[in-house]
Amino acid sequence: MKRYNLGQKAIIAFVCVWSLFPIYWALNTSLMSNENAQSRPAHFFPFPVYLSNYKSLFSASDLWPDFSRALLNTVIECVAATVVTIIVAVLASYAFARLQFRFKSTIFYVVLATLSLPIYATLIPLYQIMNQFHLVNTYTGVVLVYTSGFLPLSMWIMYNYFITIPRELEEAAFVDGATPVAVLLRIMLPLALPGITSAAIITFLLAWAQFIFPLVLTSDNSTQPLTVFMTGLLGRHTVPFTLMNATGILSIVVPVVIVIFLNRYIISGILAGSIK
Amino acid sequence: MSVESKMRKILPGLTSRRSSVLLPYLLIAPLLLFIGGLAIYPTVLTFVKSFFIVNPISPPQRFAGLANYTALFSDTEVIWSWVNTALYVVIGVLVSTLLALVMAIGLWKQFPGRAVVLAILVLPWALPGITEGIIWAWIYDPSFGVLNSVLHSLHLISHYHLWISGNRLASIFFIELVQIWQMTPLSAILILASLQSIPLDLYDAAAVDGAGRWETLRRITLPLIRPGIAIAVVESFIISLNIFDQVYVLNGSSTTASSVMLETYNITFQTLNFGQGYAMSFMAVLVTMLVCLGLLKVIYRKVEF
Repeated sequence: MKRYNLGQKAIIAFVCVWSLFPIYWALNTSLMSNENAQSRPAHFFPFPVYLSNYKSLFSASDLWPDFSRALLNTVIECVAATVVTIIVAVLASYAFARLQFRFKSTIFYVVLATLSLPIYATLIPLYQIMNQFHLVNTYTGVVLVYTSGFLPLSMWIMYNYFITIPRELEEAAFVDGATPVAVLLRIMLPLALPGITSAAIITFLLAWAQFIFPLVLTSDNSTQPLTVFMTGLLGRHTVPFTLMNATGILSIVVPVVIVIFLNRYIISGILAGSIK
Repeated sequence: MSVESKMRKILPGLTSRRSSVLLPYLLIAPLLLFIGGLAIYPTVLTFVKSFFIVNPISPPQRFAGLANYTALFSDTEVIWSWVNTALYVVIGVLVSTLLALVMAIGLWKQFPGRAVVLAILVLPWALPGITEGIIWAWIYDPSFGVLNSVLHSLHLISHYHLWISGNRLASIFFIELVQIWQMTPLSAILILASLQSIPLDLYDAAAVDGAGRWETLRRITLPLIRPGIAIAVVESFIISLNIFDQVYVLNGSSTTASSVMLETYNITFQTLNFGQGYAMSFMAVLVTMLVCLGLLKVIYRKVEF
């Protein structure tokens, strides 16, 4: 296998440059003054380091009120959507994995089929439904829409995890007189924790990246997430690209930290969510 | 008091074993409410309302037959958006699958630091498309972008180029490249998992038979990872058919590289012609379903070891 080494090294180097360079470039640009960023040829290091882009995002008299509100909205919407999705998906996937009931396989496949529904299928009707129930510009509206979109994937990831757990443990508990709900809470949940973590992380990341649904469902900064805030900023022609890059860098801090520390859950979730 | 005894108090019927007939339905009820009310019902609405004139400014909605569809087909901007999206999809699926295949083969065997490299690989997948559009817009900048700067320093171009908003095909390629950056990790992970499921003794047998590297790759590896590639192709197809964020940021107000999703958004939420938006959406749903079924049929054959 030694002869593969050179090619392998080249590919590893390529993967690192391919994935990291654009992010490095944004960081580099965000730490430059406008004049320094507009030089030919481009400067590969941000010297002298210039912090004004970040300062205007963090200064109360400048962008901080709008930026912090958008950040808060993103966090609220992502956390709420993740929590609701996980609770609903845990209950349902346990039923599908362990209990017997009529129409089980029909319902199961119908739910799975919605996994392949494109955004087109639901975008306009969901806007009209939310509008009808006065849920445009509310966290509830955004969270309901996110949850309905991410549920099938989470359910599928958890289902695939539940069915790998040996039945003996539950059966022992049933013999001791435990009820199905007790078995779910006390035996299945702790054992399924890695699967639940995967589903939660993937749901959170997908929610963090959302743009078109919040673009349609939110029209002012009371509920607009970071992605919508950033395109609004892009529309103001007074905002220089160095500042746009600084905003971009701040918008990816949370996803980057999650990938660095929890990547194995992401990979196992992606695999549980798509294989078969 | 434990959660379980609390639940027993609140819901006595739920926790007794006799309730087991009802229990499964109670457990799946929230899921069914979400999926039924906010996924299946909206999809049906999209189909039905595509035959109506729906305009929030001049209600009520009225039946229009195929008028929304015929209006769309006589609109050149709409037709171009379909052509553009076909190009986005073809470029996106081909390039991302090939890149993912190369990446997966390179990361297949164990090496020190592999977990770190896998995290680096996954990174672009986890970032919002909008942020990626902003990052790459500056990379592509016609006056100060690093792409121009590097190519110019290497004497590959004689002057700085306008990569987007000039030539249609070039605009589409460079916008799609941003989406490729985002979705390739997903394909690479799927293909990598298929690679790792191949029994290694097959390679020992091939080596004994004197098979070369290329022959081993072509005769053993590629056929066995066909399912992984099939899923990667289907996923990247669906993602690129829905391209929106990258076009929204990079293409701006120009219609050169407009996509079906962007056109649907403009027709619906800018022009407020909801009926035509529904018709456009329903066509996209149909295309998604037909192509997915076709792709799965063509590439997804059962693999036996």
